[in-house]
Amino acid sequence: MNVVVLVKQIPDPEALVAIGGDGVSLDIEQKFALNLFDEFAIEEALRIKAKHPGKVKVMALGSGKTIEALRTGIAMGADEAVLLEDEAFLDGDGYATALALSRAIAKEPVDIILCGRQAIDADRGEVGQMVAQLLGLPHVGGIVKLDVADGKAVAEVAVEGGKETVQVQLPAVFTAQKGLNEPRVPLITGVMKAMKVQVARVKAADLGLTADQTGRPGSKVKVVQYSLPKKKPAVQIIPGTPAEAAVEAVRILMDVERVL
Amino acid sequence: MVFVEAKGDEPRKVSLELLSEALKLAGSGRFCMEAVFLGKLSGTVKEKVLNYTEKLIHVTDPVLENYTAEGYALALAGYAREAGAKLILAGATQRGRDFLPRVAVLLETGIASDVTAANWDKDPLTFVRPMYGGRVLAEVSFSASPIIVTTRPNSFAVGEPLAQKGELAEFQAGITPAQLKTTVIKTEETTLGKVDLTEADLIVAGGRGLKAAENFRLIEELAATIGATVGATRSIVDAKWRDQADQIGKSGKTVSPKFYLGAGISGAIHHIMGMDTSKVVLAVNNDPNAIIFNYANYGIVGDLFEVLPAMTEELRKRRGK
Repeated sequence: MNVVVLVKQIPDPEALVAIGGDGVSLDIEQKFALNLFDEFAIEEALRIKAKHPGKVKVMALGSGKTIEALRTGIAMGADEAVLLEDEAFLDGDGYATALALSRAIAKEPVDIILCGRQAIDADRGEVGQMVAQLLGLPHVGGIVKLDVADGKAVAEVAVEGGKETVQVQLPAVFTAQKGLNEPRVPLITGVMKAMKVQVARVKAADLGLTADQTGRPGSKVKVVQYSLPKKKPAVQIIPGTPAEAAVEAVRILMDVERVL
Repeated sequence: MVFVEAKGDEPRKVSLELLSEALKLAGSGRFCMEAVFLGKLSGTVKEKVLNYTEKLIHVTDPVLENYTAEGYALALAGYAREAGAKLILAGATQRGRDFLPRVAVLLETGIASDVTAANWDKDPLTFVRPMYGGRVLAEVSFSASPIIVTTRPNSFAVGEPLAQKGELAEFQAGITPAQLKTTVIKTEETTLGKVDLTEADLIVAGGRGLKAAENFRLIEELAATIGATVGATRSIVDAKWRDQADQIGKSGKTVSPKFYLGAGISGAIHHIMGMDTSKVVLAVNNDPNAIIFNYANYGIVGDLFEVLPAMTEELRKRRGK
């Protein structure tokens, strides 16, 4: 069974994010980590491989530190790493990113495509589903359980107020939700392997993509400007004993803010 | 065009928010509006939706009785093409966020996901979406058509119902089971009737400061008094004191209620990212330096084991009147 895992290297959730002077770029502190949900995706791929021998390929689109996400995948146990690295790919929206990734995936036969439910930087949560549609495949979003057998997969999804079990024909795309598994911590031998791994590089031209299909020119949705959220006014501490403060809090919520 | 979603016999609140917004736009004369519902439409939902739309299109293909991303995407894209929709709005619910990216691909356009504000007066239209867990807001515009947007629940207000109900029309998208590679095997409802955190107006959430699973009843009692939904932090869920469905934060749910009370929550960035668009925030913590106070409108520095029961009692007294 051949599995491709789409991963993303993202700024650490605590990294400082500032808006560039032009208003359409961001200055992000150079602290990065593998996207949280992608760890579940890699782990699941490795568990599938343990039952259904085949190849696990980690794939990412990006520049600079992106290769670290792929190294983490290799360290955990993935067999191959592919990096879509080209100036042309930069600043793409969900569509442009999904188009490039779907072309790269289609280069080799694949049974299962896994990725995180969403990357917690751009918070779009679009790419997995778009890749599926571009490849004409089904997808199941936000899975918490996956069983693969006989060219089919049965997945469980935690839905609002319940649980749903669905069956899909393979190949298919699955996006991983927290609860799917407990990602392993890479062993030192894995880390050594990751340091030496040959990462295959793919350019836009290798995927038959022209300049107007990638990056910002290829994006259907473009950032006009970034801004900072309005700061909440400084907290108003309600004084008094716990009992007094509780009564005063209720008064404020009911009579002043009128939210209760 | 507004995609309308229902839960049981109720249209989702976010659907009514978007219909209200669309009615305002239609009132300005720049757009005409219609609501689109896929699959089995109950009489109650139909009547409630018709209060908020000039026209409701019911797509009746039998394959839509169960939700599948493939089927819903084909149906909505099919109708949008037929109707020549320029703007498709849907709630950023789990379902909306799941299948609308596929609609975007089918219509060769993009999508702005989890939008919290729209600039209807700008040309081109722009939409605001939080990124990096709400630390930056991106204003985006479309260079493709139609425009597809999912909006975060509680971002827009539900307006007054129409004086005259809208009309209902049926549409067949012509989707056959053979086109779908997904089958729903089983659907289990565990918490039917409870307001989901993502759509809740009022939330009472607890963290590590509660010290033990059984103490969560303090949170539950206060929540029950005001009809709020209970939330929890990641450490509480990881400790199995509460179900994963109750988790607020980066690896849980993003909430945007009118009122959020956080008790015994220190304010780890992962939690803040999931609640910082709440309108009024009250934090209760015995540590005056707890980070959550930086994100709160009101704070009580004190023991939650005293503050919560006192609040519950006072609320019962005042609301009993």
